[in-house]
Amino acid sequence: MSALAAFQREFMDTLFAAAPPGDARLAIYHGAVRANWARALASAYPVVRRLVGEAFFAAAAAAYALAHPSRSGDLGAFGERFADFLAAYGPAASLAYLPDVARLEWALHGSASAADVPPFDFAALQSLPEDRHGTVRLRLHPAVRLLECAHPVVAIWEANQHGRDGTPSRRDGAERVLVARRGFDPLPRALAPAEWTLLEALARGFTLDEACAALGDEAGQLERLLVALAAEGVVCGFDAPG
Amino acid sequence: MPATPAPGSVGIGLRAPHYAQILERRPALDFLEVHAENFFAAGGRARAWLERFRAAYPLSVHGVGLSLGSVDPLDEAHLARLEALVRRFDPLLVSEHLCWSSFGARHANDLLPLPHTREALDHVVPRIAKVQERLGRQLLVENVSAYVLPGGEMPEWEFLVQVARRSGCGILLDVNNVWVNAANHGFDPYAFVEAIPAALVGQYHLGGFEPTAAALVDTHGARVSAEVWRLFEATVAHLGPKPTLIEWDTRLPALDVLLDEAERARTLTACARHATRQVA
Repeated sequence: MSALAAFQREFMDTLFAAAPPGDARLAIYHGAVRANWARALASAYPVVRRLVGEAFFAAAAAAYALAHPSRSGDLGAFGERFADFLAAYGPAASLAYLPDVARLEWALHGSASAADVPPFDFAALQSLPEDRHGTVRLRLHPAVRLLECAHPVVAIWEANQHGRDGTPSRRDGAERVLVARRGFDPLPRALAPAEWTLLEALARGFTLDEACAALGDEAGQLERLLVALAAEGVVCGFDAPG
Repeated sequence: MPATPAPGSVGIGLRAPHYAQILERRPALDFLEVHAENFFAAGGRARAWLERFRAAYPLSVHGVGLSLGSVDPLDEAHLARLEALVRRFDPLLVSEHLCWSSFGARHANDLLPLPHTREALDHVVPRIAKVQERLGRQLLVENVSAYVLPGGEMPEWEFLVQVARRSGCGILLDVNNVWVNAANHGFDPYAFVEAIPAALVGQYHLGGFEPTAAALVDTHGARVSAEVWRLFEATVAHLGPKPTLIEWDTRLPALDVLLDEAERARTLTACARHATRQVA
């Protein structure tokens, strides 16, 4: 190993050691990197931070950064596995809902920076002959995220927004969640069963005929649901074979 | 190719809490500098802001995460995003740091010091050349604050000059970092500045440090210190006026504080130019 590589390895091991180094100058780096990681996590996970408090969050962030080191020079990419980490993090064991809240916040974080695409072109879809509609595959907007959660994460998230007192409208029950952008603001919404079935079918690349079959008894709602999802900006385009 | 920035132009680092105010007030700044990584996203609000700023001001793109000096391979994905950003926004200046940030695929997300050795020189020069080739333009490379000296075969200023001469990059001379390193490692900051050939320097940075028991720390969380303003005056007198940036990152103050610092840089630059002419 070259002298430069040996130096960088040793320096990095010092930074990633749990305890600060004895050398006060090296300790400046040891502290600075933790502050950077903690700031990045706090920016992606404001509700988790509010739920657990400053000190708990700082400790969790420090432990996370060592367990799942940053892999990118872009701190916006740091924190992808925080939900998994919290699920296995002993001090958070009594907060069963916390990993789901983290999953929702990571979905919001990714949604916020997803590509901008033009709105859905209804006229283009309508110009297709009706007998071809069934073979169309609708594309979801790049900012769309779908999550299945064992806890009412949307209620918890909403209750912990600025100006709210933190009391969720419900404390139990699973939620299926859509994250989509309104303007540039990613927002979560709990989905009705038929909406979830349809969106999951579209996310899997089903044709409209296949999505209709997946809806089963609710198939009659297909058009109404699609119009609503397109108006919400959830559907942004389509692929028609041939 | 983008236009060349005026030698005595002055800008500030663009930070999110000031976005709306800057567009509303349109302060008399010659350029705005952004951290490249904050605009790596494919879309969303940050990107839309940058489009608006681009229409109002010339931009400078300052990377903080490329890890130029790491022995890890250059992060191609990172470089691709930097390239896309530069091609889209066509900034006046593009800069990065003469440092390393990652090893063994772990990232410290901090600007770590390189040893000033021939080995490090031979390592970083072709990497800078490669980045310049990818971007299709010259890169400015900034001297960083360092709290430890990893040992070296030459002084920092010689290392910096060699990097620029051999790679064809320009120097982003951070005057505050010169001061901080001089204080932390016991050299003469004026000797550093005097050793730099004027033609290699493409930009100055000015920021604030904070003293701690262990060292001066480059926090970008204070006004430019009186000593650094004096060093800046001497720098402009010696190397000539260059585009100058006021940087502030932690405990960001009101926009007016940054504008005040920028105005001071503008005034000192004009005075130093005048002084130089009189001497000549």
